[in-house]
Amino acid sequence: MEILKTENLRHRFSDGTFGIDGISLSVQKGEFVIIAGANGCGKTTFLRHLNGLLMPYEGSVTVDGISVAKNPRRARQKVGMVFQDADSQIVGETVYEDVAFGPENLCLERSEVRQRVDTALQSVGLDKFADRRPHLLSGGEKRRVAIAGILAMQSEIFIFDEPFSNLDYPGVRQVLQQILMLHQKGHTILLTTHDLEKVLSHASRLIIMQKGKIVRDGAPETAVKGCDVFGVREPFASRQGLKLTSWLN
Amino acid sequence: MAELSEFSFRPGRSALHRLDARFKLVFLMLLSLRILHAGFSGLGLFTSLLLLSLLHLRLSFFSLIKEMRYFLFLLFFVFLARAAFMPGEPLFHWWEFSLSREGSFEGLLICWRLVTVVLLGLCFVCTTRSSEIRGAAEWLLRPIPLIPEKRAGIMLSLLIRFIPLILTQAKETAEAQRARGIELRKNPLYRLKKFAIPFLRRMFADADRLIVAMDARSYSENRTPPEFCAGKQDWIALAAVTMLCVLSFFL
Repeated sequence: MEILKTENLRHRFSDGTFGIDGISLSVQKGEFVIIAGANGCGKTTFLRHLNGLLMPYEGSVTVDGISVAKNPRRARQKVGMVFQDADSQIVGETVYEDVAFGPENLCLERSEVRQRVDTALQSVGLDKFADRRPHLLSGGEKRRVAIAGILAMQSEIFIFDEPFSNLDYPGVRQVLQQILMLHQKGHTILLTTHDLEKVLSHASRLIIMQKGKIVRDGAPETAVKGCDVFGVREPFASRQGLKLTSWLN
Repeated sequence: MAELSEFSFRPGRSALHRLDARFKLVFLMLLSLRILHAGFSGLGLFTSLLLLSLLHLRLSFFSLIKEMRYFLFLLFFVFLARAAFMPGEPLFHWWEFSLSREGSFEGLLICWRLVTVVLLGLCFVCTTRSSEIRGAAEWLLRPIPLIPEKRAGIMLSLLIRFIPLILTQAKETAEAQRARGIELRKNPLYRLKKFAIPFLRRMFADADRLIVAMDARSYSENRTPPEFCAGKQDWIALAAVTMLCVLSFFL
């Protein structure tokens, strides 16, 4: 079942250059898609079209059959986004408040907000952190707070923009475990990275972008071959002709 | 990891934490107005009560003074200006400069008042969540025409929430400048310019990112309202604060 679709999507910056240049893509429900590419290839710009943070210059984006341009509020509820810089997206004074921010924006009843926040915090293993200040948490914990914030909005699609940047090894493992848990529960995952080593073995599809266009799209094992030419390092195992391995093993 | 700042909410279950935020905001306004007109004995009473509250909240006086050092430095100049320019009986004389007794008392009184108001604000911020402050501000501003109370409330709560981050960023920017030898430049204007430009650029970039993150989580002014529940303890506290204000008139 198709949950997300873009057709000939183009985005033009104010200087006249195209950040995204004619992307047509269809994502099925429950897929785990990695979007890779060098810095400045348009990954983040593309992701911001999927929940209406940016509107297309040309083309269209539909989420679950409904145009994002026509109903951006619905798109933002359906498509949750975890940003690269965890610090600047934390709004609440405590972990509880931050997770409650999304449900409160949806104008839910206070009891419903409370129930959703408790469930979301339990899901990411942060229920004991409800009264802690988010800025004093570790990098991995901050990203789990961000994930809980989206879980509380009951989004179906999770978008991760460079989720492993600035994280140490335990932090990467924590976040990766959360992403896999979400995927196992049936959520559709779109994740951007330029470091495939950490996550590729878990993905069902790899898309490589260059200069605002999709240049590769396919199964991870095949699409990753020779991807160095696009500014993305091919994982060691793939270079050696070995099976891709998980960072969780 | 961000540093701990005394000027931010501290989760707890103290009597101050349990009070309704609307009452606390009213107390803050009433007491601030009274403190700004209080004499030495009245200030003594207010300061003693505030120090007891700060002890109860287990705030570190050392880090408090450290964080307030620039403010205290500013107050020192306020005191000097008062003492030096107010006519009266000379208390201290050196070369062309003299400090008057009346000016020194007046300067001390003003500085004491300002420190007390800051301590009062600290007690409020430490015991009230930013979402409660937002809700209380909205509630207070609602009857006033031409003020978008919801927008004002969210601006106030974001400001309070981001003060520790702004301070951390200012410290990081200053450290980065020191690492590149800014202290060797003696011109304060040059140093200020070199500090302000990257600091403000970073602040604005962070503000942009925050707006996008809020948008991504469906932010709008119509949100679930905060839950307030005025209890017996709030009315008792209101009576106590009113009595305190009345009492301070006679001190």
